[in-house]
Amino acid sequence: MGSDLDRQIEMLKACKPLPEADVKTLCMKAREILIEEGNVQCIDAPVTICGDIHGQFWDMLELFKTAGDCPQTSYLFMGDFVDRGYFSVETFLLLLAMKVRWPDRVCLIRGNHESRQITQVYGFYDECTRKYGSPTVWRYCTDVFDYLSLGAIIDGRVFCVHGGLSPALPSLDMIRGLERRVEVPHEGPMCDLLWSDPDEINGWGLSPRGAGFLFGAEPTKAFLHNNSLDLISRAHQLAMEGYKLMFERMIVTVWSAPNYCYRCGNVAAVLELDEHLGQEYKVFEHAPMDVRSIPARRPPAEYFL
Amino acid sequence: MDSGFPTDDVAPIAILMDELRSEDVQLRLNAIHSIPTIALALGPDRARQELIPFLQDSVDDEDEVLLALAEELGGFEEYIGGKEHTHILLGPLENLSAVEETLVRDKAAESINKLAASLSPAQIEEFYIPLLKRLSSGEWFTSRTSSAALYAAVYPKVSPAIQDDLRKGYAALGADDTPMVRRAAAKWLGSLIKQLSSAHVLSDGLPIYRRLQGDDQDSVRLLTVEDLIAIAQSLSPAEVKDQLLKQIRGSITDKSWRVRYMAASHFNELAEAVGTELVREELIGHFVQLLKDNEAEVRTAAAGQIPAFSKQLEREVILARVVPCVRDLSTDTSQHVRAALANQICGLAPLLAREATTEHLLPLFLHLLKDDFPEVRLNIISKLETVNDVIGIEMLSENLLPAIVELAEDKSWRVRQAIIEYIPLLAKQLGRTFFDAQLSNLCMSWLGDTVYSIREAATVNLRKLIEVFGLDWARTAIVPRVMGMGSHPNYLFRMTTVQAITIIAPALDLEVIRGEIVDPLLQLAGDAIPNIRFNVAKALEVVGKSYNTTAEGQALVSQRIKPALEQLSKDPDADVQYFASRGLKNVK
Ligand SMILES: [Mn+2]
Repeated sequence: MGSDLDRQIEMLKACKPLPEADVKTLCMKAREILIEEGNVQCIDAPVTICGDIHGQFWDMLELFKTAGDCPQTSYLFMGDFVDRGYFSVETFLLLLAMKVRWPDRVCLIRGNHESRQITQVYGFYDECTRKYGSPTVWRYCTDVFDYLSLGAIIDGRVFCVHGGLSPALPSLDMIRGLERRVEVPHEGPMCDLLWSDPDEINGWGLSPRGAGFLFGAEPTKAFLHNNSLDLISRAHQLAMEGYKLMFERMIVTVWSAPNYCYRCGNVAAVLELDEHLGQEYKVFEHAPMDVRSIPARRPPAEYFL
Repeated sequence: MDSGFPTDDVAPIAILMDELRSEDVQLRLNAIHSIPTIALALGPDRARQELIPFLQDSVDDEDEVLLALAEELGGFEEYIGGKEHTHILLGPLENLSAVEETLVRDKAAESINKLAASLSPAQIEEFYIPLLKRLSSGEWFTSRTSSAALYAAVYPKVSPAIQDDLRKGYAALGADDTPMVRRAAAKWLGSLIKQLSSAHVLSDGLPIYRRLQGDDQDSVRLLTVEDLIAIAQSLSPAEVKDQLLKQIRGSITDKSWRVRYMAASHFNELAEAVGTELVREELIGHFVQLLKDNEAEVRTAAAGQIPAFSKQLEREVILARVVPCVRDLSTDTSQHVRAALANQICGLAPLLAREATTEHLLPLFLHLLKDDFPEVRLNIISKLETVNDVIGIEMLSENLLPAIVELAEDKSWRVRQAIIEYIPLLAKQLGRTFFDAQLSNLCMSWLGDTVYSIREAATVNLRKLIEVFGLDWARTAIVPRVMGMGSHPNYLFRMTTVQAITIIAPALDLEVIRGEIVDPLLQLAGDAIPNIRFNVAKALEVVGKSYNTTAEGQALVSQRIKPALEQLSKDPDADVQYFASRGLKNVK
């Protein structure tokens, strides 16, 4: 199965988009694999956990330089692969090609941006039509989004999800019982998993995002206790230091888009869980300009013309 | 997909029209890219009589589609019956030269220039020159802007009388009311100058240039720097001094930093064009001023020219005039200036020779190696080899080794990587004793670095060191420490052991492999982590392939390596199976 995919992975690593026909095949294969996976995918440590990427392709290559190549290093990406950055197409297709090539070494779960509605507003749709001249590739990719898992659990002890908890889902088994193969709904339990944020409040609160909830230390502690967990790992919010532990280390936000939107000035991080579930946060910075992250920051050439 | 029109199809143009009417831009683009196919189907006569007029009159589309059309037409001669008909392509390109989008106009001008190469003098006079006149006097600035690009290509091919007209026409563009047009005139003047006789450069080229160089728009003036170079190249040094001195001074000291930036970034080219006398009398002083400019962008551009420009100076002048500026720039407030300097400063070493480099540059290297910005440190390290050649590695390492050792623990991993890449060279020059005392611990510590790329570079470094110091050294200094990490409780260390074996195994010998490597490696084949196990399979493949050339090696392969790979090929993990099976296939 290797050679064709290996060639495509090499192309994508050079930031060359795949021909439309290859994208179609890749997405079909990905769906076959993803449909077999549970809403909460079970994976083994050691694994490296990554947060939002948002189309910052060259910065994702920095991530791989820091934490290692796949399959040497096993990866869990917690969603929001696309939108905002300039290279959502190459970013998502590379991750998807890695998933298809090494299904046991890569786990991709769904973020709130892996949605038809959101991607039409925040860039992925436009990027696809610009790079391919039609929305076909966007359609292939968004169809794959519906098959992505909603969360993952590592060695039974660490729960990973894009946003956070839902008041309607006190147990992992209830998450396992959801029908996930739909466009992300505007409200309800599945929406909450992808949209909620932890916050220093008592119990539950309304989210300023207009979707999902805010949840405090109490619901977090209860969820950990009832499901025999040590830690919740999530993404979804910018952390200037790359990661942020809250509620006495019961929950951590991991953020993997350095200098977010090419202007926030933040560093990024991944969480390496070793075989004993020891946590090591690896911080990394955005790609140097000569490695090409965005069309030049300082004046030269076209500025003068 | 080739649309492959059958030759007996009567209506390829109708199909083209149909596709060009599609809602989907991609389909319209595909249609434009298929016009060579359509032309082939029609044959050259109908291509001229039906296709070209259709393209000329009926295509009004989005810029992307027009851009594609402008490009296709530039290579269309062969489809319309060859050179004698080339001029009919000028029609649609003339339309495209007048549209609003700059990219389309530029592409159209490029295509017209391409076609100009194959036009006969008669075609040029009958078709091209009238087109050029229409565009040059067009009502909209767009067509006048495009016209500036079209003069140089035909100038040498027309009669003296028409040449006179062309020079007058170009002068009018240079005096146009619209800045866009003057900008185009400034941009293309250099290429026209190259076609003029020396007399006409003085009589016509120079006045056009002078006017543009004094334009009130800095966006026009900055484009004249390249014209200046072109004119200087076609004049004698004495003429340059008589005719251009005021303009040279004007551009370099322009009140707009963007003009000074252009002058600074072309400084060496300019210096080469004006000749040594002016360099000594005039340019060196200006260069010093640019290196001290108020704007960091200008200083950055000037810093980039330091070694190239200094090649035209004598050593005493470099020492007296350039080196003091370099010293100031090494403490510049802008990190971009310091980074540009760090990138160039090593290039001064060969010009200054050993003694002066040691005295004047070494302290600056040391200073820049401690800069707060990683890019500055990195630029110095990656250019140090040039300095080696001048002052010798001993002098360099005596002075720089402490700084290098410090950088080996730099917080930027790219700096650490640059240091690692420099290590084998240092090792070769320093010798084993010195290396063991000063650097070997460092090399080992990189194997446990937190960044994967550094751990990987560290293993490659080990292999290069083995090539420098030999097997005995590897056996005592490297192998025990690499294998020692193989029983570390953290899998990342065990992984590094396996990956290091994969890299260094081919540089060892059978005795070391048998005595020190194989047993611990096979131990790791039973590791709890599948990622370790499939890397063991990869390592076994490398060992097997490297040592199966002797009878003893084959015994090792068949008794130890292959059975282990067979075992791994039945592993419950699919990736372990994959790499083990691949190993079995490749190890004969
Ligand atoms: Mn999100």
